[in-house]
Amino acid sequence: MIENIKYKKSYNFGFIDESTKKEVRRKLLKAVAIPGYQVPYSSPEMPIARGWGTGGLHITLALIGRNDIFKIIDQGSDASVNACNLREFVQAMTGCRVTYDTTEATLIQTRHRITEEELREDQLFVFQVPQPEPLRGVERYEYRTRQMHGEADYAKMWVSLYESFVRHGDIMLGAGYPVKVNGRYIMAPSPIPRWDIPNLHQAKTLYLFGAGREKRLYAVPPHTTVEPLEFEDVKFNIERFNGASCSKTGYRRAFLDELFLDDGSKTFVINDSNFLDKMEQGDPIHQFTNPYLDQLV
Amino acid sequence: MSFHNEHSWLLKVRNLTKVYGEPNERTVELTGPEFGTNICPETESIVACAGVSFDLFPGEVLGIVGESGSGKSTVVKLLYFDIEKTAGSAWLRPYGDGKTNILEASGQQKRYIRNHLMGTVYQNPRDGLNFSFSSGGNIAEKLIMAGHMHVGNIRERAAYLLDKTEVPVRRMDDRPAAFSGGMQQRVQISKAIANNPPLLFLDEVTTGLDVSVQARVLDLIRELQQELGIAMIVVSHDLSVIRMLTDRTLVMKHGRVVESGLTDQILQDPQHAYTQLLVSSLL
Amino acid sequence: MNIVEVHQLTKTFELHILNGKRITALSGIDFAIEEGEIIGLTGKSGSGKSSLMKCLYRTYLATSGEILYTAQAGVIDLVKAKDHEVLALRRAEIRYCSQFLSVIPRVPAVDVVAEPLMRTERNRDLARARARQMLEVLGLPTELWDAYPVTFSGGEQQRINVARAIIARPRLLLIDEPTASLDTRTKDVVIDLIRELKQDGTSVLCISHDEYTLGKMADRRLHLSGGHILSNVTATI
Repeated sequence: MIENIKYKKSYNFGFIDESTKKEVRRKLLKAVAIPGYQVPYSSPEMPIARGWGTGGLHITLALIGRNDIFKIIDQGSDASVNACNLREFVQAMTGCRVTYDTTEATLIQTRHRITEEELREDQLFVFQVPQPEPLRGVERYEYRTRQMHGEADYAKMWVSLYESFVRHGDIMLGAGYPVKVNGRYIMAPSPIPRWDIPNLHQAKTLYLFGAGREKRLYAVPPHTTVEPLEFEDVKFNIERFNGASCSKTGYRRAFLDELFLDDGSKTFVINDSNFLDKMEQGDPIHQFTNPYLDQLV
Repeated sequence: MSFHNEHSWLLKVRNLTKVYGEPNERTVELTGPEFGTNICPETESIVACAGVSFDLFPGEVLGIVGESGSGKSTVVKLLYFDIEKTAGSAWLRPYGDGKTNILEASGQQKRYIRNHLMGTVYQNPRDGLNFSFSSGGNIAEKLIMAGHMHVGNIRERAAYLLDKTEVPVRRMDDRPAAFSGGMQQRVQISKAIANNPPLLFLDEVTTGLDVSVQARVLDLIRELQQELGIAMIVVSHDLSVIRMLTDRTLVMKHGRVVESGLTDQILQDPQHAYTQLLVSSLL
Repeated sequence: MNIVEVHQLTKTFELHILNGKRITALSGIDFAIEEGEIIGLTGKSGSGKSSLMKCLYRTYLATSGEILYTAQAGVIDLVKAKDHEVLALRRAEIRYCSQFLSVIPRVPAVDVVAEPLMRTERNRDLARARARQMLEVLGLPTELWDAYPVTFSGGEQQRINVARAIIARPRLLLIDEPTASLDTRTKDVVIDLIRELKQDGTSVLCISHDEYTLGKMADRRLHLSGGHILSNVTATI
């Protein structure tokens, strides 16, 4: 039990009861053992509605320890309403230290972005996932998508990419670009921008994915091959922002937010708020590197 | 040139049987053309087809003709794995050198056979085509399943196939719903032959089309067959379709094959009473 | 060497829709065709000539008897042969030319004639070129070559029929009234073409009422009456 700092009642450490934590951990082990494979789990009820990050929260609360330092970001920002609420909840239920600093955190939960700074082997990275099934767009029946995964029958997925290319001249997927993990399963990486996709490949960190509403967990272990789906002549590429750079720092090699000013003009700013702060203050940074970034001038 | 060796068959089918419901040991023997019914009087189970056996040689066109309830569609549905058999075996020469019963293959193996060794054209285009993809995309699906991963090449092959079936290539990116019925059938045909399968199933493909459209589709099928030398199984209730397309024919009634022979023999010298009735009913 | 030997061939039709009424078309037919022989088959209508020919081609299933055919690969009894064997023989060795052109709709005349070659010759243009040569020899007007035969006159259709039967040089040619509805000049052309085939070793069984044709072509005549052979005599020229 924990005498928490926010509420009058006592709660179990991490809110979830120990047996459920055990179940989630066992399912996570299975997920790590089969990279990219969606493992069904109990997805217990939380005092937070479905669709608001319960999946990520399940993983966090099942794994977090008293000495962990917790960070949570929402599309790159530590300070959004939902990030703040979830942070307060985790802090109240565990008493852990919380931080905005990517390099200081030991466990990071994210909604729809990977940090610009490279993550280490001793860190855990937890994704909130709205739709874990990458094939849902081409096949609405669960029993069929399960069969397709089981038999590696992914032709329909490829055809949908072909159709997008044919209709629009390019594969028009901005967020959540489907990837093939360890040469076997096609996985939905959650709606992260294309920018982040190459950072899943051969990473040092354990990536964990939780979809609370759909009740699925999956994982990408460190040093795993993660390849975006592409054709021999129609290749994957990351955003280029038409050569724009951050208006606050002049930096170009980071994912930029497009903002509209009051006078109607557009400006670009680095999306990762902690990274932006460090750049502005001139603090040392250690960014992810990947071949796609290197192609960016 | 020698006449076909017994062992050069492409498809061998033995005792193909499908029964719905809960049959007992007497179900099959209590149904059939002599009894005038498919329904077993003891168990009320339905014998859709029973004891169907035939050989198909490369490049041959086999017709299966019969009225409703004859079991003709059931036979091909069993062979292209749309439904599960009750009993029987089938061997396909290009698969495992003809030594594996394809009706007992795993899901994965059946998918391979369906994609590489068989093509199917259905009566209803919605069964054979995915209406949410473009017609080129439908063909691309088969090509991708066969391992083609180059969009340029895929489009080239799809364009070639559509052109062969007289679908305007500039409509390659249109969805099937934008096409007429006859054109949807042509797209189905292009898709079916995409991977050059040795065997093609045509299940009542022109039934329901306007007569002039039917004629053109049948002409196309005949031309393609002559050009590609592909073996076909053509199911139809219409003897004129059978006459136009097939070399040999099976006549089915109440789930059994009542007569089998060369098509011209079936039409000019029918032996079985039912065949004589069918032939004399030709308009 | 006999290319065909027929022993005790009988054909009886059983018409179930007429309460099992039986009609005997052929009864105890015995004859042989030598390699390279042209045999004229004669008799009144209803005597069984077409039935005999159709039994040889396997359009009719003989009721009893044997039809021993010496194929390139060996001797086979056409009465008992399997369907796929007969199909293979029809594609390669035995051709049947009926009295009337069974019109294949919407196929131009050139393609109708070229069709037997398309199966064996992969080059379709070559096949069509030979078809055109044949049509020219037979005197079919050029403007009809790409037209649909369904609209042609009887004589024009017959020319296409004959051309199609001859073009792939069969080993055994079964031909029914090849020169009916043809003028004398074209009759001669057809007769010459058939005799050319004979030089190449083709054996021919030809039904004809026309004395002119039989006189110029037949080595022997087989006369049928009421389903029996009445006479089997060498032609006297």
